[in-house]
Amino acid sequence: MGKKTPLFYVQLVLTLLVCSFLIIPVMQSVTAGLTKNYIIGVKSGLTFQWFLKVWELYRDTIFRSVMIALICLGCTLILGVPAAYTMVKWQNRFTRLFEELLVTPLAIPGLAIALALIISYGGYTGFRQSWSFILVGHIIFTLPFMVRSVIAVMSSIKLKEFEEGAASLGAGFWNRFFQIVIPNTMPGILAGSLMVFTLSIGEFNLTWMLHTPITKTLPVGLADSYASMRLEIGSAYTIVFFLMIIPLLVAMQAVTKPIKGKGFSEKNMIPERKSEELAENMISPTKRTELKNGHRSSSGTSLLLENCSKTFLDGTRALQPFNLTVEAGETVVILGPSGCGKTTLLRIIAGLESSDPPGRVFFGEEEVSDVPIERRNVGMVFQSYALFPNMNVRENIAYGLKVHGFGGKDLEKRVNEMLDMMKVGELRDRRIDQLSGGQKQRVALARAIAVRPRVLLMDEPLTALDAKLRDTLRMEIDSLLRHLGITSIYVTHDQAEAMALGDRIVVMEIAKVAQVGTPRQIYFQPQSRFVADFVGTINRIFCRIQAGHLLLPAGTIQLEDVPQVQGGEGEELEIFFRPEHAEVTEKGRGQLRSTVAAAFFMGDHTRLLIDWNGGEYLTIEAKGNQTFSKGQEVEIRIDPKALLTLKV
Amino acid sequence: MHRHRNPHLLFLFVPSLAVFAAFFLIPLTRLALTSASGPSGFNLYLLSLTHPRYLLTLVNTIVLSIVVTLVTLIISGFTGVFLTRNQFPGKSLIVSLLTFPLAFPGVVVGFMIILLVGRQGLIGDVSRFMIGQKMVLAYSITGLFLGYLYFSIPRVIITLMAAAEKIDPSLEEAARSLGASPFLVIKDILVPALIPGLISSGAICFATSMGAFGTAFTLATDIDVLPIVIYTEFTLLANIPLAAALSIILGVITWVALSVARTISGTTVAASG
Repeated sequence: MGKKTPLFYVQLVLTLLVCSFLIIPVMQSVTAGLTKNYIIGVKSGLTFQWFLKVWELYRDTIFRSVMIALICLGCTLILGVPAAYTMVKWQNRFTRLFEELLVTPLAIPGLAIALALIISYGGYTGFRQSWSFILVGHIIFTLPFMVRSVIAVMSSIKLKEFEEGAASLGAGFWNRFFQIVIPNTMPGILAGSLMVFTLSIGEFNLTWMLHTPITKTLPVGLADSYASMRLEIGSAYTIVFFLMIIPLLVAMQAVTKPIKGKGFSEKNMIPERKSEELAENMISPTKRTELKNGHRSSSGTSLLLENCSKTFLDGTRALQPFNLTVEAGETVVILGPSGCGKTTLLRIIAGLESSDPPGRVFFGEEEVSDVPIERRNVGMVFQSYALFPNMNVRENIAYGLKVHGFGGKDLEKRVNEMLDMMKVGELRDRRIDQLSGGQKQRVALARAIAVRPRVLLMDEPLTALDAKLRDTLRMEIDSLLRHLGITSIYVTHDQAEAMALGDRIVVMEIAKVAQVGTPRQIYFQPQSRFVADFVGTINRIFCRIQAGHLLLPAGTIQLEDVPQVQGGEGEELEIFFRPEHAEVTEKGRGQLRSTVAAAFFMGDHTRLLIDWNGGEYLTIEAKGNQTFSKGQEVEIRIDPKALLTLKV
Repeated sequence: MHRHRNPHLLFLFVPSLAVFAAFFLIPLTRLALTSASGPSGFNLYLLSLTHPRYLLTLVNTIVLSIVVTLVTLIISGFTGVFLTRNQFPGKSLIVSLLTFPLAFPGVVVGFMIILLVGRQGLIGDVSRFMIGQKMVLAYSITGLFLGYLYFSIPRVIITLMAAAEKIDPSLEEAARSLGASPFLVIKDILVPALIPGLISSGAICFATSMGAFGTAFTLATDIDVLPIVIYTEFTLLANIPLAAALSIILGVITWVALSVARTISGTTVAASG
């Protein structure tokens, strides 16, 4: 961007010429409005007399334009904002058609619209001759701008999640609309308002047809003055118009800039304390000793899902029928790959979706199948936290309590309790966009448990955080859940998280439950290939039964050593084993022999990929300080006790 | 939000629907019906399109709009690209000045043209000084053309600049890394990427020019454009079915042009001037 070439200057001059074409008349107009005599020029002297003339002749038009613009603004707000909300929530053929239609007035010349209005309503003399006739035209013309602006903002914020977050805390429809939806749509409402106001003030095509001699607006007056008054008066009047719209244009620019910009400023973030410190401080000392002694309080509700399934409107089967029981105080992790239906399952428990009939959901003894989330008293933590941007930390945590009727001292007490428990006390007055990921997660948890929910539901809360932070927070959440003794359902695709947190794990394959069990059961006794491969790594080899032995390429295993393997003489079998249950050994001691395809040093072990069957690889964990090179011949010994047979 | 439709939402939606139906859908239907209510019925459309006066007006308006569009695209394309690709002191001032006229209604645009090339216009004074003869262009087709140019240039510049800013800078960097000169970069990377923006803003420009009323009204030229003819037929000649028919023809043309723009750009835009 340094040196400017001659070409640059040529382009600059041409640009300036275009600029002049547009701006010189504006300057002329300003001069004319302030000069005693335009033809003589500035030499004739400067004066405000023309402004006084304009005020005298056209004062009423100025007031009328402003009045109509303000009323038009009010109408478009009342009509447009709710309509925009409905169109964002209901995305169907009908609302899409309306959106198309709504924009049509912009495509048709104002003249035609005015004509249409006169033909239809011109007969009602009272209406025809009042300013409200003009108002109606303005509303039709400006409504699309308001609606579009609000829809744009509503679509770009995570409105659905905020509303679900508020609903999980018990807030009803109107509470959500006025406390969550409107405040977070403010930029769109503001931008739309400025647009509507500016357009209304300057509207001519429609207004000229609709006006009568007693209902003139500013642009109509301008046309009048250009035609019948001297240039100086027209110019002064134009200056008045400029003075009115310039602040509006500047305001519009200022309001739309933040919408265009993305993300929040890193400068505003509070430095994160060292993660170890935080892990230490997460639970208070007395509670920590409790936990050390294995004491676990239990204050939750049991959960039962009976014959639940879910099919979406377009026919996709999101969940096959299943049953699930969760004991009071238990933490169950739902583990599975993306798209397996785990979030759908969580949402059925939450009350955000309902199961296909005849599925039923019970909280303790109470059937809650038809109870909406607002009344289920669940706590929910979303993947993107869904913290309300229009409230600070303290207000977010207090929100659910307020909805439940807490107030005054009780409210303060509970909020402070939560702030302390999550160690976010010093963040109480911070705005949400000034928090780091880990801090947001803690505030989201605090908000969810402040209302003492019966069940705590967490949808991949750690997925958005970096690895080290995830490890630390995983420990904190584990301690927290044990301390609270609350029934928790935790959804994740990370098997390490599942093993660390879950009392039991529900492993899900696409749309169905693959296996339910404790972490150890899942890992050491997988019931299918999917589970064995999803949780940890699994190796597969073929062997034959011969003379009471399993015949492997470089050795044999006595059948009596592997009671878990069943088969007849001569039968070919598939057997499975995990990487850590095989070791590299000296020639003659193992059952497999092959070459190293790749070796990855992982720190505490080396992961070896062994060539097998030309194309498939076996994964072996080699401990210790050995080094391996590609092509090296190795002999592998598998621990017979760890062999598995699995169905598909 | 879940399972059953929330009845509250209907309540929020109905007022807009009602107002829109009452003050737009119904009137427009009546406009269409009025156009067929004269002695010739729906044949009026055919008659007006073949009548020399109206056909000439329609052709004039279309030709003027097309020429304005092409000239605007060249001028604005050139200026817009220059401004997006270069930084210099005072740039934001120039951009603000170029886009300020966006908010002017047609009347004000007409007035600007009168100031520039009218009887007491600046160009008249300059030309009288230079060549001894006062050039007055405002009340001819040139004046109209300049007026249309005046409100079109800011509109198209803004759209093109926005489109140019969306272009991934790494595309240009890749081209340069392969040895392309600035000219080739513009020809092979920038212009192809801008074509949708050019087509869509061209369509908007065309639609706005077709439907422009205020500018032509203020300039009060001898040459009639379609909106002015509609106005005269309705107000002065009380020829309501004809005015209605011509309005519908005009409306259909602008609507088609803007649909083209919308399909290409994916957003909705307005015609007003």
